[in-house]
Amino acid sequence: MKRSLFFKIFFSYLVVIAFSFIVLSTFIKNEIQQVMTGQIVEELQTYAGLIDLSKTQFGLEQVRHIAYLSGSRVTLADVRGRVFADSEKDIAGLDNHLNRPEIQEARVRGKGKSVRFSQTLGVNMLYVAVTLHDKDQITGYVRLARPLHNVQNVIDQVYQTVFLTILIISIFSLILAILVSYQLAKPIRAMEQFTRKLRQGDLQGSILLNTSDETKTLADNINYLVEELQSKIRLANEEKSKLMTALTSIDEGVLIVNTHESIEMVSPSLIHILKEPYGKIAGKTLMEAFRNADLQRLFLKFRQSQETATGEITLGGLHPVILQVSISEIHGYPDEEKFMVVFHNVTRLKKLEQIRTDFIANVSHEIRTPLTAIIGYLETLQNGALESAEDARRFIDVMLRQAQRLHRLVEDLLTISKIELGEMEFHFEPILLSETVDHVISLLEAKAKEKKISMQNDLTRNLPPVKADRDRLCQILVNVLDNAVKFTGSGGRVTIDAEVQDNFVVLRIFDTGMGIPKEELQRLGERFYRVDKARSRELGGTGLGLSIVKHLMLVHGGKMEIDSRLGRGTSVSLFFPVSTMESSGQNGKKGNRI
Amino acid sequence: MMDEKKHTSLHYEQELQAIKDSLIFLGALTEEATRNAMESLSGRDADLARKVIHDDDEIDRLDTALEEKCIRVLALRQPAAIDLRFITTAIKITGHLERIGDMAVNIAEKALILNNEPQLKPYIDLPRMTDLVRGMIRDSLDSFIRNDLAVAERVRQTEQIVDDLNEQIFRELLTYMLEDSRSINRSLMIMQISKNMERIADHAQGIADMVIYMLTGENVRHQNYPSSK
Repeated sequence: MKRSLFFKIFFSYLVVIAFSFIVLSTFIKNEIQQVMTGQIVEELQTYAGLIDLSKTQFGLEQVRHIAYLSGSRVTLADVRGRVFADSEKDIAGLDNHLNRPEIQEARVRGKGKSVRFSQTLGVNMLYVAVTLHDKDQITGYVRLARPLHNVQNVIDQVYQTVFLTILIISIFSLILAILVSYQLAKPIRAMEQFTRKLRQGDLQGSILLNTSDETKTLADNINYLVEELQSKIRLANEEKSKLMTALTSIDEGVLIVNTHESIEMVSPSLIHILKEPYGKIAGKTLMEAFRNADLQRLFLKFRQSQETATGEITLGGLHPVILQVSISEIHGYPDEEKFMVVFHNVTRLKKLEQIRTDFIANVSHEIRTPLTAIIGYLETLQNGALESAEDARRFIDVMLRQAQRLHRLVEDLLTISKIELGEMEFHFEPILLSETVDHVISLLEAKAKEKKISMQNDLTRNLPPVKADRDRLCQILVNVLDNAVKFTGSGGRVTIDAEVQDNFVVLRIFDTGMGIPKEELQRLGERFYRVDKARSRELGGTGLGLSIVKHLMLVHGGKMEIDSRLGRGTSVSLFFPVSTMESSGQNGKKGNRI
Repeated sequence: MMDEKKHTSLHYEQELQAIKDSLIFLGALTEEATRNAMESLSGRDADLARKVIHDDDEIDRLDTALEEKCIRVLALRQPAAIDLRFITTAIKITGHLERIGDMAVNIAEKALILNNEPQLKPYIDLPRMTDLVRGMIRDSLDSFIRNDLAVAERVRQTEQIVDDLNEQIFRELLTYMLEDSRSINRSLMIMQISKNMERIADHAQGIADMVIYMLTGENVRHQNYPSSK
């Protein structure tokens, strides 16, 4: 940049200098030649005129003398052009001079001149001729010749001087060119460096110049542009960070996809939703990233209809994630289309929905079964069975049992909803577990005896009292022990023992029953969840027992754990918090609404 | 000129990506068909079975379209080296996938018949087999897309487990048939389903074999096949 600028300036200087030199020297040379040649011509003519005036017949001696005086070669010729005297050459070797241009001119005009290159001397020769008179009669010609190297010498001298001057001027102009180009290049170089920095993405600072010419305006313009750019970028960044904040703070996962279906941006929440196996998905295509046919179909549908498409996809194998996906176009990209894919995780929602529909289906089913039986028997009675007292009695027994089952079911449902709504009143007091266990065992003894099941209370007397509601504690124990008896074959054994663990008394109920498959354990405690549906209903269960226990244990500040081995038996552990209240038992009688 | 060249190569890149995407899509569809076929059997869902049969048209259509896409690229771009191997392998893979779709249809057809009859026995090994086979389809395509040799090898190993499961189901059904001649018809059908599932596994292995060939140049096809074939 600086080099070329310097050379441009320096060369333009040189051209101007050279041109003026050529013009000047040409003029000077012509002027000098003219003036000097003219002087010589006049001088030689004066000598020739003097020779003419003397009217004497010159001998060789005189001619040579005149030649010496005039500094020239003197030739005398007669009227016919024959040379009869020459100061330098032998006349015998000289030809007729009448045809020489200067003599021709002199014959016509009285005097003549000519410049010719002399082969003999190798220089330009000036020839001047004058006629010799004798009373208006031309008697001959006198010619004087002088070499012009004097003139050439003077011109060479002048050339030398001019050349020297040129050299000096050139050196000056070189220095000047350096200075000027440096001066000129300085602001330009500053701007060049600055713009290069800009191009590399560094938008800091501005150009400061001390000049006041066009470069200053240019620098100002650049500064203005940079400021404009900076503020635009700042604005864009602000927008971007706003967008990113919005995208991060919402639960929905967002993708931006371009026309070629490749993913351009992934919101952090989407990565959170998708978890590990999907890894890095930015840059891949939708198909490659998700490997999901439903998503691809949805995208194709969207591309065809150009309307926002919504659908549900299921990702993952073992723990599927159900996502509601909506694809829409992002407007505002002039050159290409971009699309936004929003993922809304509905797995939990779906699960809750499933539980709710299951619950309703279960409740209606549970209610319908006894109702169908009651209605059936009633219809039979209505159709005449009433007449037979024996049949009627049997029917009424069955109907009563079914009605009682319905009642139990409704009671259980009410209990659960009360617990869930927090409307149940609890009177917490310190209770000795062994007493309650004894009491409950006595309640179930008849049933156990029927199945030949032995029930054994292994609780030690020195257990600390637990904080519990007496009635609810009974309910819990009845439910759990009833289950144990129900699902243990005849001749089995139900054992109850307890130990202290941290701040809990853990009551364990073992049975030698059929056990529960491992994969079902987690779902115990769900409402209406039965491991063996047919058998449970046959045994008169409502499907709500363990659910109630689970909820009640939570209200008590404890928990229920179930462990089981298929065919070996089941153990239910109930964690009750140790009571910190006074042992009198009277203080806690106040109603605690939970 | 320079600009145009860049554009064509970008276009070419997109064509290759489109082939890749279509393959994954086809793979996802066959995987879905396999799953649905089995679910139509275990859930006794006739509608789902009919859906599998109906959706096979889409698989067939995609198969043809994908093959055409590959041939177009071969003809117009004359790809070399890696791209050539990629496209030729892709053409062969789509054939396998199309066959997998047909197998799923076979299963669904059998399921339609079986669903009209009482269930012979609870299905335990078949769903397990299905899960393995689905994993194989997915893994075989994964190995192709990601050039992952280890995944391809894993597919080959899983194929052995599926074979064993198939044998086990055969033996079990044999006992049913020996016990009760009325169960022969149903048993045979379940056998065919199991066989079909096993053949899907074979196709997945075929894909994996080609990936191994593509990556190492070592031809493992027609090796280590069980002696029964």
